[in-house]
Amino acid sequence: MSTRTELRHGIALATLCSLHAAASDAPVAPVHPLEATAALKAAFAERIGHPADVLAFDLGEHYARALVQNVAAPDEYDEFAAVPGQPLEPGRPKKVGDIDCRRKIPFAALDLDAGARALAQARTIAAANGYKTPESISLGADIFCRDFGWRAILTSDADDDAMLQVTWTPDGTLPKAQEMHEDGWRKVDVTRLLAGGAKVTPAAPKPPPKTVAGDGRTRDFLLGIEADLARVQAEVGAPLGFRHISIGHTQLSLDVYQPANRKRVSTWLVGDDGAIKLWREDDTIPFDCNKPFASADFPLAQLADLIAEAPAQIPSMPQAEVKDAAVRRSGFCGKPHVYIKLEDDRGYGNVEYDERGRLVSAEIQ
Amino acid sequence: MAKTLAKILLALGVGLMVAGAGAEPAAADYGWPNLADFLQQLIGKVGAPVKVYKLEMDRDGKVDLWIQQQAHPDLVDSWEYDHGRIDGPIPVKFDHYPSVAALDYHVIELTMIDFPRLPAMLATARAKLGLPDARVVYIKLERGDSSGFFSVTDTPIWTFALDGPRHDGRVEFDLKGRVLDVDKD
Repeated sequence: MSTRTELRHGIALATLCSLHAAASDAPVAPVHPLEATAALKAAFAERIGHPADVLAFDLGEHYARALVQNVAAPDEYDEFAAVPGQPLEPGRPKKVGDIDCRRKIPFAALDLDAGARALAQARTIAAANGYKTPESISLGADIFCRDFGWRAILTSDADDDAMLQVTWTPDGTLPKAQEMHEDGWRKVDVTRLLAGGAKVTPAAPKPPPKTVAGDGRTRDFLLGIEADLARVQAEVGAPLGFRHISIGHTQLSLDVYQPANRKRVSTWLVGDDGAIKLWREDDTIPFDCNKPFASADFPLAQLADLIAEAPAQIPSMPQAEVKDAAVRRSGFCGKPHVYIKLEDDRGYGNVEYDERGRLVSAEIQ
Repeated sequence: MAKTLAKILLALGVGLMVAGAGAEPAAADYGWPNLADFLQQLIGKVGAPVKVYKLEMDRDGKVDLWIQQQAHPDLVDSWEYDHGRIDGPIPVKFDHYPSVAALDYHVIELTMIDFPRLPAMLATARAKLGLPDARVVYIKLERGDSSGFFSVTDTPIWTFALDGPRHDGRVEFDLKGRVLDVDKD
């Protein structure tokens, strides 16, 4: 081995040794943080190395994180993380603009034992009421920058919409709980939760989406939609009462009032392979027009020609191409008009035809 | 043509820009693009006058300059400059295309822009923000209303957006380098 190679190895070894020494100087997080909260807090205190206030703290078996503010330099926010059994890394600066809420407690008042107790209580509630076991618990303010304390959010596999929030004061007392409902949060008695008295009701299984396979023919809907309207009508089982027709090269989207309930609108999608899918069903918007129009109420037979001629209606966009087209009632509740959107490499243009296919307007956007 | 070009560049003072690029302290400096080279190449391609819709320089010193097309004053083209390489014209696409009158009002004559001021403005921006080591996020010139005061005049505004590990900041200047607004997170 040459002297130069030995020297390189020596330098590399010295570098590794110094890195190891630096790492070994850092405080080490306890292997079981929830059972050694005092040791965890001491490790954070040593790593932070100066008086600090705590804005947020996440606590769990596998990870802990603190967001702190330097008491001597209030513009300095840093994030510290701990992994069980590992040396704590130096803090990462956090930009002042990323701090949404400045509620805080002195580091000395940080009670990780209270956090561990609250997490255990949250897990008891989760197990007793059909929620998933929470991985961790968080100390901090709520999204409105109020109610600084420990907080666990519980969700459930049985119902994607189910959510339970349990909060405690920073010292782990005064637990409160609230369930998410369609009309907002509702309080739930914690004693009842601990006894398993507020179980998640499994959501009713959703019916499989109604679909019809494609017919193997590739379409460009801007060249015509009549045949596909007939196919969707066969699925609906009644003449189509349209709210909105949206036409693109590769997709046709139809908002159709349901024949049995005019206060509901179904959205049918037709793909360029002809596949039909009932994509969604929604309530109509109160006080909106909600007046269906039929295929006979707009120039369906001329539609492809109107779309093809649209670029010529704006001479200052000679290279324009049709981006998409739509049929919907004009104004608040007028006759169904055809709206065609054009695009070139500098911008957009709009062409509008009335219910008889007469040009209403053609202008650059 | 060469004589006209020389006159324009002299009027612009862009020759000073090269010196300006080296005048800033090295530690916290920004890699200024060679605007003299860019504008010389640009004027060689499009001729004078150059009417600037918007000029933007990014963190890496790449430049995106939007100018009104002389042959079709209703159109705006983008010219990009990346360390010596000029690319354009690239058609600018607007969601809502401005009218010719609006464009005529919005553009800034290239000769009105005092490029040699830029390094000093960057130093001022850092000082005003109290961030001596802040890095450039972007530097932009466009007409608009400054956040610092109410204006309906749609004046040309230089915006220096800077950042550091703990702060983001923005300083606005007028064409003469006067500070209009300072905003620091």
